Amino acid sequence: MSGAFSRLVLLVARRDYLRTVRRRGFVAGTLLLPASVVLVFAVSSLVSFDPTGGAAGPVLVVNESGVPLQVDPRLAPDVLLVSRDEAESRLADGSVAEFFVVPGAWSSQPNVRLVVGPEAGRSGPIEVVTRRQVAQAQVELLLRSSLLRAAGLPDSALGELLTPITFTSVTPDGEVVSDASVTAGFIVPYVFTLIFVLSIFITSGYLLQSVTEEKENRVVEIVLSSVPALPLMAGKVLGLGAAGLTQVAIWMTTAIVAIPLANQQFSIDVSVSPVTLALAMLFFCLGYLSYGAIFAAVGALAPGAREAQQYSSFFGFFAVIPLVFTPLFLTEPNSPIVWALALLPLTAPAAVLELLAVPGSSPLLVLASLISQLAFMAIAIFAAGRIFRATLLLYGTQPSVRRIVGALTGRA
Amino acid sequence: MSSTEQKAGEGSTALPVIVTGIWKRFGSTDVVADLSFEVRPGEILGFLGPNGAGKTTTMRMILDIIRPDRGSISVFGRPPGVEHQGRTGYLPEERGLYRDVPAIDTLAYFGALRGLSLAAARRRARDLLTQVGLGDSLAKKAGELSRGMHQKAQLVATIINDPDLLIVDEPFQGLDPVNATMLKGLLLEQRDQGAAVVMSTHDMEDAQVLCDRILLIDKGRRLLYGTVSDIRRAFSDGAVEVVGRNLPTDTAALRSAMHVKTYDGTVRYLLHDGATAQDLFRELGEGQADVERFAVEAPNLAEIFIRTVAGDPRASRVA
Repeated sequence: MSGAFSRLVLLVARRDYLRTVRRRGFVAGTLLLPASVVLVFAVSSLVSFDPTGGAAGPVLVVNESGVPLQVDPRLAPDVLLVSRDEAESRLADGSVAEFFVVPGAWSSQPNVRLVVGPEAGRSGPIEVVTRRQVAQAQVELLLRSSLLRAAGLPDSALGELLTPITFTSVTPDGEVVSDASVTAGFIVPYVFTLIFVLSIFITSGYLLQSVTEEKENRVVEIVLSSVPALPLMAGKVLGLGAAGLTQVAIWMTTAIVAIPLANQQFSIDVSVSPVTLALAMLFFCLGYLSYGAIFAAVGALAPGAREAQQYSSFFGFFAVIPLVFTPLFLTEPNSPIVWALALLPLTAPAAVLELLAVPGSSPLLVLASLISQLAFMAIAIFAAGRIFRATLLLYGTQPSVRRIVGALTGRA
Repeated sequence: MSSTEQKAGEGSTALPVIVTGIWKRFGSTDVVADLSFEVRPGEILGFLGPNGAGKTTTMRMILDIIRPDRGSISVFGRPPGVEHQGRTGYLPEERGLYRDVPAIDTLAYFGALRGLSLAAARRRARDLLTQVGLGDSLAKKAGELSRGMHQKAQLVATIINDPDLLIVDEPFQGLDPVNATMLKGLLLEQRDQGAAVVMSTHDMEDAQVLCDRILLIDKGRRLLYGTVSDIRRAFSDGAVEVVGRNLPTDTAALRSAMHVKTYDGTVRYLLHDGATAQDLFRELGEGQADVERFAVEAPNLAEIFIRTVAGDPRASRVA
């Protein structure tokens, strides 16, 4: 590329980059993920409590049944047996939000009433529901242990019987594995790759918007008198690709910061490997270049912005097909359908990004998809360049199929 | 060095534009067919022709927006390309500005695309916008400008790089009279400074007043090419209109005239081939005629345009 060409490409790229990253929509879209992460952490901190710990206060139980209840602090550490008067008095003064009443018909009718006070809703629905679940668990243990005790079971056996059993997952080497990590270990990279797929289409959409805007504002001919069509397209692809990468970089940084915090906050052990990250970036670039070239050609072809959106949605339909087959990616990552989706150029960007999140997917398939996308990218850029040049100056008219074919074959 | 000398100096090595036998076909139609002409420094070349004649296509080929199928184009001695774009200015027929961007930013961008540094382009845009009365609207987005302001900003975009070759396609279309007058003055000023101007227009009156030479094409082919006076003379039919007393009306008494017609106190003499208006004037003097007005009849460009497109054979004299 000559000096004049590269200067023009960079000028176009710089303008389109700055214009895009200064848009309110771009800023809002880019900051949405970091803001969401901050929000999730803030909310989880506010509502966080130890689910195995106490019930955030005493659990008052009024026993009106004939079964003698005996509190075992090992099983129900927060339970207090009180009289009905005392329970109502404490409910009235607000020192408790609710109390349990074991009715006279218990245990023939296995129903316990929860008397709630007017202040109960003040703590927020999530906190209230969770507190009640913890309290109900303790009351249930109280009632069952009391029944067993009444049936003559010794305290030692009772303790062994009712103590909750914990399960620990380990590797063959004995290393402890968090069960939450198994789920999160897929979900986090999966969401991560979905974000990449989303970003490909957001960024390609910017390209479409940029081309149609210049056509609709009748600026394109002035620009073309200074910049030949191919450097113009190259500048746009470069500038808007850089804007997309900026967005992805901010999201990645957010993820890199958030994942260790999430591990700590939610007691999980999740990581996204640098190899996955590098591959995701590579496939983002390939996907963007392929779809970007197609969208640039669509923008040049379409008479107006509305038509451009309609035409591009046709390609967007192909892009989301792999997402429909997500269960298949999870269960049979080497099935023929997955292979087909990973190799077909229009579905490959989303398919391969999904594959990266699935353990056990074939490295050969990822490599084959890479080759397929590289080949398609080259063809798409070449064809789009010709269509871009041949149709960009058609204002408000739909180019004929013959003209498009002529453009592709270099005769128009 | 004055700007005139400077431009003349820059363009002295080669003509701004030499077009030699270019062809351009869209589908099955030859939009431009074997067209040749040149544009000289310090002139306005009027590029005339009916709609669809191939004017815009030719201008786009000079600017390298599209390429000819055959033939060659030389711009300042070299094929059209990005290296010339710093020396050219273009005002297309379909023109606009980015609506949601301050006008000065758009103009600075256009200036940078035409070879100026971004800072220099911004300074130049500011100066020119101020010069055309838009100094208070620099930060306004194009969508917030009135139509007249919009037009002025587009004109500024055309000359932001002080071009040596200015190509303007229907420049007065849609302009209000104030802006049209301003643009005419601007084109004349650019020409006087040594720039070559190619102007496509349908307004024959503007062409007759502003242009030094005319190129008329139809269906992509050259029909007329020459100075305005040469072309008008070619279509004058050798007719002379005379007002006065004692004017002879019998062709037998005149060597130079082959036909005489009188109307409204004016006598119209149709000259023999080879006879000149001076021959007739001399004869009238010899014959004691008292000449009050003696005018070589020449149709205006609008008439010539219509006649030429209709196939008048006289066009071949100046094709």
